[in-house]
Amino acid sequence: MPVRLHLDRLLVARRMSLEELSDRTGISAANLAILKAGDARALRFSTLDALCRELACQPADLMTWEP
Amino acid sequence: MPIMRTLGPGSLSSFMKAVLDVVWVFLLVTLAVLAAGLLYGVLAAFNPDMPFAQQVRYDGLDRLQAWAVVLARMGTAVLFVGGVLAIVSSLRRIFATLKAGDPFHPDNVTRLRVVAVGLAWLEMVRYAVWTLGALLPPQAAPDRPNLSLTAWFSILVVVVLAEVFREGARLRREAELTI
Repeated sequence: MPVRLHLDRLLVARRMSLEELSDRTGISAANLAILKAGDARALRFSTLDALCRELACQPADLMTWEP
Repeated sequence: MPIMRTLGPGSLSSFMKAVLDVVWVFLLVTLAVLAAGLLYGVLAAFNPDMPFAQQVRYDGLDRLQAWAVVLARMGTAVLFVGGVLAIVSSLRRIFATLKAGDPFHPDNVTRLRVVAVGLAWLEMVRYAVWTLGALLPPQAAPDRPNLSLTAWFSILVVVVLAEVFREGARLRREAELTI
Protein backbone atom coordinates (compact mmCIF):
# COMPACT_ATOMS: atom_id res chain seq x y z
CA MET A 1 0.00 0.00 0.00
CA PRO A 2 1.45 3.40 -0.95
CA VAL A 3 0.41 5.04 2.35
CA ARG A 4 3.08 4.44 4.97
CA LEU A 5 2.86 5.07 8.68
CA HIS A 6 5.95 6.25 10.52
CA LEU A 7 4.92 5.15 13.96
CA ASP A 8 8.30 3.62 14.77
CA ARG A 9 10.12 6.83 13.84
CA LEU A 10 7.82 8.96 15.99
CA LEU A 11 8.11 6.56 18.91
CA VAL A 12 11.90 6.84 18.78
CA ALA A 13 11.70 10.65 18.52
CA ARG A 14 9.38 10.83 21.54
CA ARG A 15 11.39 8.17 23.45
CA MET A 16 8.21 6.21 23.95
CA SER A 17 7.63 2.48 23.90
CA LEU A 18 4.77 0.76 22.12
CA GLU A 19 3.35 -0.37 25.47
CA GLU A 20 3.42 3.17 26.84
CA LEU A 21 1.62 4.47 23.74
CA SER A 22 -0.89 1.66 24.14
CA ASP A 23 -1.54 2.68 27.74
CA ARG A 24 -1.91 6.35 26.84
CA THR A 25 -4.16 5.92 23.81
CA GLY A 26 -6.14 2.86 24.85
CA ILE A 27 -5.27 1.19 21.55
CA SER A 28 -4.18 -2.39 22.12
CA ALA A 29 -0.51 -3.23 21.68
CA ALA A 30 -1.50 -5.83 19.07
CA ASN A 31 -3.28 -3.19 16.98
CA LEU A 32 -0.38 -0.78 17.36
CA ALA A 33 1.94 -3.55 16.17
CA ILE A 34 -0.28 -3.99 13.08
CA LEU A 35 -0.05 -0.24 12.44
CA LYS A 36 3.71 -0.26 12.97
CA ALA A 37 4.17 -3.18 10.59
CA GLY A 38 2.08 -1.44 7.93
CA ASP A 39 -0.47 -4.26 7.78
CA ALA A 40 -3.51 -2.11 8.64
CA ARG A 41 -6.10 -1.69 5.88
CA ALA A 42 -7.80 1.39 7.33
CA LEU A 43 -7.39 3.92 10.12
CA ARG A 44 -10.27 5.37 12.13
CA PHE A 45 -10.34 9.12 12.82
CA SER A 46 -10.61 8.30 16.52
CA THR A 47 -7.38 6.28 16.31
CA LEU A 48 -5.65 9.04 14.38
CA ASP A 49 -6.85 11.57 16.95
CA ALA A 50 -5.47 9.52 19.84
CA LEU A 51 -2.12 8.96 18.14
CA CYS A 52 -1.67 12.61 17.19
CA ARG A 53 -2.65 13.72 20.67
CA GLU A 54 -0.25 11.43 22.51
CA LEU A 55 2.61 11.77 20.03
CA ALA A 56 2.08 15.53 19.75
CA CYS A 57 2.14 15.48 15.99
CA GLN A 58 0.04 16.18 12.91
CA PRO A 59 -1.42 13.43 10.72
CA ALA A 60 1.09 14.40 8.04
CA ASP A 61 3.93 13.63 10.45
CA LEU A 62 2.47 10.18 10.99
CA MET A 63 1.98 9.10 7.40
CA THR A 64 3.24 9.72 3.90
CA TRP A 65 1.99 8.67 0.51
CA GLU A 66 4.52 7.03 -1.79
CA PRO A 67 3.33 6.24 -5.33
CA MET B 1 -42.18 -11.36 24.27
CA PRO B 2 -38.54 -12.48 24.06
CA ILE B 3 -37.37 -13.56 20.61
CA MET B 4 -35.11 -16.60 20.42
CA ARG B 5 -31.60 -15.71 19.34
CA THR B 6 -30.48 -17.07 15.98
CA LEU B 7 -26.70 -16.94 16.52
CA GLY B 8 -24.40 -17.97 19.35
CA PRO B 9 -24.52 -20.65 22.05
CA GLY B 10 -28.01 -21.70 23.15
CA SER B 11 -29.56 -20.16 20.03
CA LEU B 12 -31.64 -21.54 17.17
CA SER B 13 -28.37 -22.28 15.32
CA SER B 14 -27.17 -24.30 18.28
CA PHE B 15 -30.37 -26.36 18.23
CA MET B 16 -30.12 -26.92 14.47
CA LYS B 17 -26.47 -27.93 14.81
CA ALA B 18 -27.52 -30.62 17.30
CA VAL B 19 -30.23 -31.84 14.92
CA LEU B 20 -27.76 -31.91 12.03
CA ASP B 21 -25.31 -33.89 14.15
CA VAL B 22 -27.95 -36.57 14.74
CA VAL B 23 -28.94 -36.63 11.06
CA TRP B 24 -25.28 -36.81 10.05
CA VAL B 25 -24.66 -39.89 12.23
CA PHE B 26 -27.84 -41.51 10.91
CA LEU B 27 -26.81 -40.85 7.30
CA LEU B 28 -23.29 -42.12 7.93
CA VAL B 29 -24.62 -45.40 9.33
CA THR B 30 -27.15 -45.66 6.49
CA LEU B 31 -24.45 -45.08 3.89
CA ALA B 32 -22.21 -47.70 5.48
CA VAL B 33 -25.03 -50.25 5.53
CA LEU B 34 -25.99 -49.48 1.94
CA ALA B 35 -22.41 -49.65 0.73
CA ALA B 36 -21.92 -52.99 2.50
CA GLY B 37 -25.19 -54.23 1.01
CA LEU B 38 -24.16 -53.09 -2.44
CA LEU B 39 -20.82 -54.85 -2.13
CA TYR B 40 -22.56 -57.97 -0.91
CA GLY B 41 -25.06 -57.73 -3.76
CA VAL B 42 -22.31 -57.50 -6.34
CA LEU B 43 -20.58 -60.54 -4.85
CA ALA B 44 -23.84 -62.48 -4.49
CA ALA B 45 -24.75 -61.76 -8.11
CA PHE B 46 -21.80 -63.86 -9.15
CA ASN B 47 -22.21 -66.50 -6.44
CA PRO B 48 -25.80 -67.68 -5.76
CA ASP B 49 -24.54 -69.99 -3.02
CA MET B 50 -23.75 -67.10 -0.68
CA PRO B 51 -26.05 -66.76 2.38
CA PHE B 52 -29.23 -64.72 1.81
CA ALA B 53 -28.54 -64.64 -1.92
CA GLN B 54 -31.83 -66.41 -2.63
CA GLN B 55 -33.91 -63.98 -0.58
CA VAL B 56 -33.10 -60.92 -2.61
CA ARG B 57 -34.40 -62.25 -5.89
CA TYR B 58 -37.59 -60.96 -7.42
CA ASP B 59 -40.36 -63.41 -8.32
CA GLY B 60 -41.17 -63.60 -11.97
CA LEU B 61 -37.84 -62.21 -13.10
CA ASP B 62 -34.79 -64.17 -14.00
CA ARG B 63 -31.75 -63.97 -11.77
CA LEU B 64 -29.77 -61.49 -13.82
CA GLN B 65 -32.67 -59.04 -14.10
CA ALA B 66 -33.50 -59.38 -10.41
CA TRP B 67 -29.95 -58.63 -9.35
CA ALA B 68 -29.73 -55.78 -11.83
CA VAL B 69 -32.78 -54.21 -10.18
CA VAL B 70 -31.47 -54.74 -6.66
CA LEU B 71 -28.00 -53.46 -7.47
CA ALA B 72 -29.32 -50.49 -9.42
CA ARG B 73 -31.54 -49.47 -6.53
CA MET B 74 -28.79 -49.92 -3.95
CA GLY B 75 -26.31 -48.06 -6.14
CA THR B 76 -28.77 -45.22 -6.56
CA ALA B 77 -29.37 -45.15 -2.83
CA VAL B 78 -25.62 -44.99 -2.17
CA LEU B 79 -25.22 -42.08 -4.60
CA PHE B 80 -28.24 -40.29 -3.16
CA VAL B 81 -27.34 -40.77 0.50
CA GLY B 82 -23.74 -39.82 -0.30
CA GLY B 83 -24.95 -36.54 -1.77
CA VAL B 84 -27.21 -35.83 1.20
CA LEU B 85 -24.34 -36.70 3.56
CA ALA B 86 -22.04 -34.20 1.81
CA ILE B 87 -24.72 -31.51 2.14
CA VAL B 88 -25.40 -32.28 5.80
CA SER B 89 -21.65 -32.37 6.57
CA SER B 90 -21.22 -28.90 5.12
CA LEU B 91 -24.31 -27.61 6.90
CA ARG B 92 -22.98 -29.00 10.20
CA ARG B 93 -19.75 -27.06 9.78
CA ILE B 94 -21.63 -23.92 8.75
CA PHE B 95 -23.91 -24.16 11.77
CA ALA B 96 -20.89 -24.74 14.02
CA THR B 97 -19.64 -21.29 12.97
CA LEU B 98 -23.12 -19.82 13.50
CA LYS B 99 -23.20 -21.39 16.94
CA ALA B 100 -19.85 -19.76 17.64
CA GLY B 101 -21.34 -16.43 16.54
CA ASP B 102 -19.05 -16.16 13.51
CA PRO B 103 -21.29 -16.43 10.42
CA PHE B 104 -18.82 -14.86 7.99
CA HIS B 105 -16.09 -17.42 8.51
CA PRO B 106 -14.08 -17.58 5.25
CA ASP B 107 -14.56 -21.37 4.99
CA ASN B 108 -18.35 -20.97 4.85
CA VAL B 109 -18.05 -19.84 1.22
CA THR B 110 -16.61 -23.21 0.18
CA ARG B 111 -19.09 -25.04 2.42
CA LEU B 112 -22.06 -23.30 0.79
CA ARG B 113 -20.67 -24.15 -2.62
CA VAL B 114 -20.45 -27.79 -1.54
CA VAL B 115 -24.13 -27.58 -0.56
CA ALA B 116 -24.98 -26.18 -4.01
CA VAL B 117 -22.95 -28.88 -5.76
CA GLY B 118 -24.57 -31.51 -3.51
CA LEU B 119 -28.07 -30.30 -4.41
CA ALA B 120 -27.15 -30.34 -8.10
CA TRP B 121 -25.70 -33.83 -7.62
CA LEU B 122 -29.00 -35.10 -6.16
CA GLU B 123 -30.89 -33.70 -9.14
CA MET B 124 -28.43 -35.28 -11.57
CA VAL B 125 -28.79 -38.63 -9.78
CA ARG B 126 -32.55 -38.36 -10.24
CA TYR B 127 -32.13 -37.68 -13.96
CA ALA B 128 -29.64 -40.55 -14.27
CA VAL B 129 -32.10 -42.89 -12.57
CA TRP B 130 -34.85 -41.87 -14.99
CA THR B 131 -32.53 -42.34 -17.95
CA LEU B 132 -31.37 -45.75 -16.78
CA GLY B 133 -34.94 -46.66 -15.83
CA ALA B 134 -35.66 -47.36 -19.46
CA LEU B 135 -33.16 -50.22 -19.29
CA LEU B 136 -34.76 -51.82 -16.21
CA PRO B 137 -37.72 -54.21 -16.20
CA PRO B 138 -41.10 -52.43 -16.22
CA GLN B 139 -41.83 -53.47 -12.62
CA ALA B 140 -38.66 -51.77 -11.41
CA ALA B 141 -38.75 -48.65 -13.55
CA PRO B 142 -38.96 -45.42 -11.55
CA ASP B 143 -41.79 -42.91 -11.91
CA ARG B 144 -42.10 -40.58 -14.82
CA PRO B 145 -39.34 -37.94 -14.86
CA ASN B 146 -40.13 -34.34 -14.02
CA LEU B 147 -37.87 -31.32 -14.14
CA SER B 148 -37.91 -29.64 -10.75
CA LEU B 149 -37.52 -25.90 -11.27
CA THR B 150 -37.73 -25.39 -7.50
CA ALA B 151 -34.64 -27.55 -6.97
CA TRP B 152 -32.60 -25.69 -9.59
CA PHE B 153 -33.80 -22.34 -8.25
CA SER B 154 -32.70 -23.44 -4.75
CA ILE B 155 -29.28 -24.37 -6.13
CA LEU B 156 -28.90 -20.92 -7.70
CA VAL B 157 -29.99 -19.27 -4.44
CA VAL B 158 -27.32 -21.20 -2.52
CA VAL B 159 -24.67 -20.21 -5.12
CA VAL B 160 -25.65 -16.55 -4.71
CA LEU B 161 -25.63 -16.93 -0.91
CA ALA B 162 -22.09 -18.31 -1.13
CA GLU B 163 -21.03 -15.11 -2.88
CA VAL B 164 -22.84 -13.05 -0.24
CA PHE B 165 -20.85 -14.89 2.42
CA ARG B 166 -17.64 -14.25 0.44
CA GLU B 167 -18.39 -10.52 0.56
CA GLY B 168 -19.20 -10.81 4.27
CA ALA B 169 -15.91 -12.59 4.92
CA ARG B 170 -14.06 -9.88 2.99
CA LEU B 171 -15.76 -7.13 5.01
CA ARG B 172 -14.95 -8.97 8.23
CA ARG B 173 -11.30 -9.15 7.21
CA GLU B 174 -11.36 -5.42 6.42
CA ALA B 175 -12.92 -4.69 9.80
CA GLU B 176 -10.28 -6.78 11.55
CA LEU B 177 -7.52 -4.70 9.97
CA THR B 178 -9.22 -1.38 10.60
CA ILE B 179 -7.51 0.14 13.60
